Amino acid sequence: MCILKNSALRQLRLTPNSRRPAPWRTSLLWVALSPAVLAQVAEPVPESRTAVIAQQQQEKSRKLEPPRPDRVEALVRRGQAMFLEFPSGFFPYFASVYHGGGLTLGGGYRKFIGDNTSWNVQGLYSVKNYKLVEGGVQSRDHLSKRLSFGSKLGWRDATQVGYFGLGMSSSQDARTNFRFQQTYADGHATLKPVRWFPIQASVAAEHWEVKEGKGSFPSIETVHTPATAPGLGANPTYLHSQVSAGFDWRPSPGYARRGGLYQATFHDYHSNEGGIYSFQRLDGEIVQHVPLYRETWVLAGRARAMTTLNNNDLVPYFLLPALGDGSSLRAFDTDRYRDRHSILYTAEFRWIPGPAVDMAFFYDAGKVASRRGDLNFKGLKSDVGVGIRFHGLIATPLRVDFAIGNEGFKMVIAGGPIF
Amino acid sequence: MANTLLNKSLAAACLLALVSGIAPGEPGPKFYADDPIAVEPETQDASNVVRQKIDLFYDLMLNQFATPGLPPGPRAQNVNTIDEVPDSSWFTNRILSRPVRIAEAARGPVTGNGPAPGSWVVVAAKTEGDAPGFTVRDSAGVTWFLAFDRPSNPEGATGAAVVASKIFWTLGYYQAEYFIAELRREQLSVDPEATFRPPSGRERKMTLKDIEPVLSRVAHRPDGVYRVLASRLLPGKPLGGFRYYGTRPDDPNDVIPHEHRRELRALKVFGAWTNLVDMKALNTMDTLITENGRARVRHYLLDVGSTFGMGANGPREWTEGYEHLFEQDKLLKRMASVGFYTQPWQKAHYKEYPSVGRFEGDQFDPDAWKTRVPVSALLRVRDDDLFWAARRVMAFSDEMIREIVKTGQYSDTAAAGYLADVLIKRRNKIGQVYLTRLNPLVDFSLDSSGLLSFSNEPVKFGFAKAPASYAVAWSSFDNKSGTTRLIGETKGPDTRMSAPAGLPSGPDSFILAEVRALDPSHESWTRPVKVYFRRLGAGWKLVGLERAESLH
Repeated sequence: MCILKNSALRQLRLTPNSRRPAPWRTSLLWVALSPAVLAQVAEPVPESRTAVIAQQQQEKSRKLEPPRPDRVEALVRRGQAMFLEFPSGFFPYFASVYHGGGLTLGGGYRKFIGDNTSWNVQGLYSVKNYKLVEGGVQSRDHLSKRLSFGSKLGWRDATQVGYFGLGMSSSQDARTNFRFQQTYADGHATLKPVRWFPIQASVAAEHWEVKEGKGSFPSIETVHTPATAPGLGANPTYLHSQVSAGFDWRPSPGYARRGGLYQATFHDYHSNEGGIYSFQRLDGEIVQHVPLYRETWVLAGRARAMTTLNNNDLVPYFLLPALGDGSSLRAFDTDRYRDRHSILYTAEFRWIPGPAVDMAFFYDAGKVASRRGDLNFKGLKSDVGVGIRFHGLIATPLRVDFAIGNEGFKMVIAGGPIF
Repeated sequence: MANTLLNKSLAAACLLALVSGIAPGEPGPKFYADDPIAVEPETQDASNVVRQKIDLFYDLMLNQFATPGLPPGPRAQNVNTIDEVPDSSWFTNRILSRPVRIAEAARGPVTGNGPAPGSWVVVAAKTEGDAPGFTVRDSAGVTWFLAFDRPSNPEGATGAAVVASKIFWTLGYYQAEYFIAELRREQLSVDPEATFRPPSGRERKMTLKDIEPVLSRVAHRPDGVYRVLASRLLPGKPLGGFRYYGTRPDDPNDVIPHEHRRELRALKVFGAWTNLVDMKALNTMDTLITENGRARVRHYLLDVGSTFGMGANGPREWTEGYEHLFEQDKLLKRMASVGFYTQPWQKAHYKEYPSVGRFEGDQFDPDAWKTRVPVSALLRVRDDDLFWAARRVMAFSDEMIREIVKTGQYSDTAAAGYLADVLIKRRNKIGQVYLTRLNPLVDFSLDSSGLLSFSNEPVKFGFAKAPASYAVAWSSFDNKSGTTRLIGETKGPDTRMSAPAGLPSGPDSFILAEVRALDPSHESWTRPVKVYFRRLGAGWKLVGLERAESLH
């Protein structure tokens, strides 16, 4: 006597549509060879509905197994532990050595030495032979998550950083390269007396060793002099202090459709060489997101100015405010324009095709100038483009922008929002 | 998964037996003596069931991008022979199946008092979910899970959880006992045995400082009092959540794939009514209980507070209830149209009370309503499941809804009134859509004189005009062979109709009445409801009901 479960019978009818025939073949083979099946088909017909169900349950009770994640789920759990959680151990490290370094990969090791305090070492390597090695201590979420602080010690090597000359009249064809190796040690802290008012401060010792540039372009010293590349030949050491404060009511710096950021940052670079390369800079940034029609669209704008405070200060060419990269003038070469002051405007018209995908038309415009008074709307370099961003609630892991300007086309692949 | 393979193997076994000449024997009768069963039996001891951990991300991705479970199409497999859901460890028949007083519905699952005043000892931190909270033991020694409101939406999450738990309990689901209570920081101390897992991942003794980040980001009154949602510890041993597909491989009594359980499919309707968009395994809980000396698994719907217009982090996202997290078609159209491919959620009008969030009834379309990610059981829902569920929703009177909403203790009476109004509007839309879609005749009875009575649900609620006439084809039915013999046909405009002469009168004889409503505006109503009666003594007992699917 064959007692077919109703569910099994229905599955039997529906099985021709199944995408997974392999278990069936296995089942049939198993069934054909199993004496247990013959014994099973000889079971008596139940006398009641209750008995029918009881028989199904009894049958299942003979083949119980504990719940366990399948292979994919186990893999997903491991991935989450590695990428999203922060326990002690090795982790993959996705960051940039220095902008323009190209595809970069890295890894690190973290060890917690307290509830919220860990030390870590990490390294990065890029396709352009850019390198970074860094170690540090981080302590976060103190005072009910209002205070975080830490310290780091590191060394980076950027082998082929571009320099095109000073000002907006420099030529794209005049590119030269330089290499710098920076050794640094800092202490930093972030305090949020209230959630929307972050105050950040840091003090760092930085040593810059500038060398002959690598790559296919001439090295900087073969083309420029200290007159056209301020500080050429200098290898300064700085005590770099900075403090920033502002209002930030975006839901998250990593992804926002509403809110804004109004922030100022003061930098003091104090050099060791008799102070010859000492300078001070003030950066100001305004970001505003305006959602439209239930966040179907978002108007997002940014204005950023970087200005050297004292006209007499000598700022080495590699620390001058610069424009041109995946987060400023996107259609231009990295650090295409450098001078003592810079201003940048970015406007994006974003639309939201789905919960994890944004798209945007964008317009970037900016200029650098040797005099602060020249930071106006005349002679701006600009580009336009379209981009797609894949994001979560608080982060943008991938941004792909296609930008075109009067110096050509660029595709930007970045991990993080434009602003 | 394992159970699916087991079922397939068993089916294969019988197929093989048939083709290899082993006589399968005579099929069982259509109706057993105990049909229709009122209780789904659980005959096996489940004491070896263990806790299962379901990964949130994997669960969401699997449901979003795959369709786990058996193919759609079959009728719900846990219904009894009269198309009803028997009581079980999943569901208890309440509203519609028996009279439920308004006070009973407003009390819901509550069996005792809320947290005792005085000192509350924190015994555990919250480890899952976005909403801030922790676990305490009150001065009477009772354990409670505490949850809070967001500062932007005071009373929102706490009120929604209490109201929704009453609704879902009245519908028949196992629910936690929720109370709204007040907490002062000074009441709290920490159990010396309590542990906490900081970002380092190394568990250690908990201190009051560990609670500060929670209290600093939740709503509180100017006098420092926190309004809290206190949820009583569920009875039994927690086993983790259940999935909306497959069966627990370690529970011997769990033999029906969850996607084919009617009460889970019916959440398409109940979820639409209450906007329960966040339906996922992690918002459910199985517990191991012992009843009548036998261990078995009870299945709870938890976190029903993420309903109405509130999400875990504030008001609902605009698209929630209208779209799944990922819909390729809409994604591509919006990409290509620069967002000008507009959707209904962009036009819905909300009266946004902070304690209610984004919840409305004018734009609401129960058919178009969607959970955040697809839910296997809901993808298998059929018209008969929807009809079954809609009848229960319609059984909530206006007064009952308003009394249940009062239990949310909203300080803004306008907000409470609005919430009740929207629930009533959405209830009526559900009735209008799902009660009219297939032959809607219910409440069949056949008295000893051969008078058949029934009622027409949408006509009763004013959603449709009475059809011109009803037609009944009467047959005798052989319970062993399944064969029928036509006795005669009757027709009339009334919902009471006498059977033709010649009904069988022998003991244990069966009648099949195929009842149709003849109405040109409702073609599906012409597909008969098949009702089976068994002769018992001098009367007839309803033992079977099969409602044909709609024609659309």
